[in-house]
Amino acid sequence: MISRVIDAPRELVFEAFTQVRHLSRWWGPEGFTTTTLGFEFRVGGEWDFVMHGPDGTDYPEWITWTELIPPERIKFLHGEYRDDPDAFESVLTFESVGAATRIEMRTVFATKELRDEAVEKYHAVEGGQQTLSNLAVYVTALVRNGAEG
Amino acid sequence: MARAATTSDVFNAIAEPQRRELLVLLRAGEQPVTELAQELGMTQPGASKHLRVLREVGLVRDRKAGKRRLYCLDARGLRTIHEWTGGFEQFWNESLDRLDAYAQELKQESKRSG
Repeated sequence: MISRVIDAPRELVFEAFTQVRHLSRWWGPEGFTTTTLGFEFRVGGEWDFVMHGPDGTDYPEWITWTELIPPERIKFLHGEYRDDPDAFESVLTFESVGAATRIEMRTVFATKELRDEAVEKYHAVEGGQQTLSNLAVYVTALVRNGAEG
Repeated sequence: MARAATTSDVFNAIAEPQRRELLVLLRAGEQPVTELAQELGMTQPGASKHLRVLREVGLVRDRKAGKRRLYCLDARGLRTIHEWTGGFEQFWNESLDRLDAYAQELKQESKRSG
């Protein structure tokens, strides 16, 4: 579970999830940009897009919304392409905390098998097909450990 | 054992130090094998062999550009590594940082127009 308090009213924070012109301004880690191929914000609608990593790697992405309750809840399936069998479901909730908003995010694996696999193999509490080429950090650590070992 | 073989293969592939070095070089963008080999002080067949392994596990892609073959990083294998290193949480934590900053901008705008 990921939780964050954002110092802005709930309607405004929710709004930032509903349009491409907003999403493209904040979606993804620092240094990533998105190119949207199709976007329809409704239950059953899809967001078909590509994320561009700072190193030039392109990550195809696909999202479809499965439940929308403005301004308090968004449920969506996230995979790499339409009807990706490994797509997994995430639930975002928006709660007013005074003049601020608490966002909570939970992820549900597509299949029990996938989740068990992640927990077993990766000791992951949460996981999924999220992307980002964090390779440098990982490789640097590996190289360093390799050098020591 | 419900486990995609390619997943474990990605980790096997990067257990080799020279393959890791190739991946680091490719972070700068597309490159031909000649330059990669030269950079790492390897023979071209040696570099090609490593690149083939990396391609098979989905860590690099290649394309023909005239007479040359250019290599670049491939998201498929990188995802696997990323998931394993806790990338999911990092992805959302960084996204929410950016959302926070953007929400402040939106707030200012609504003040001005309101």
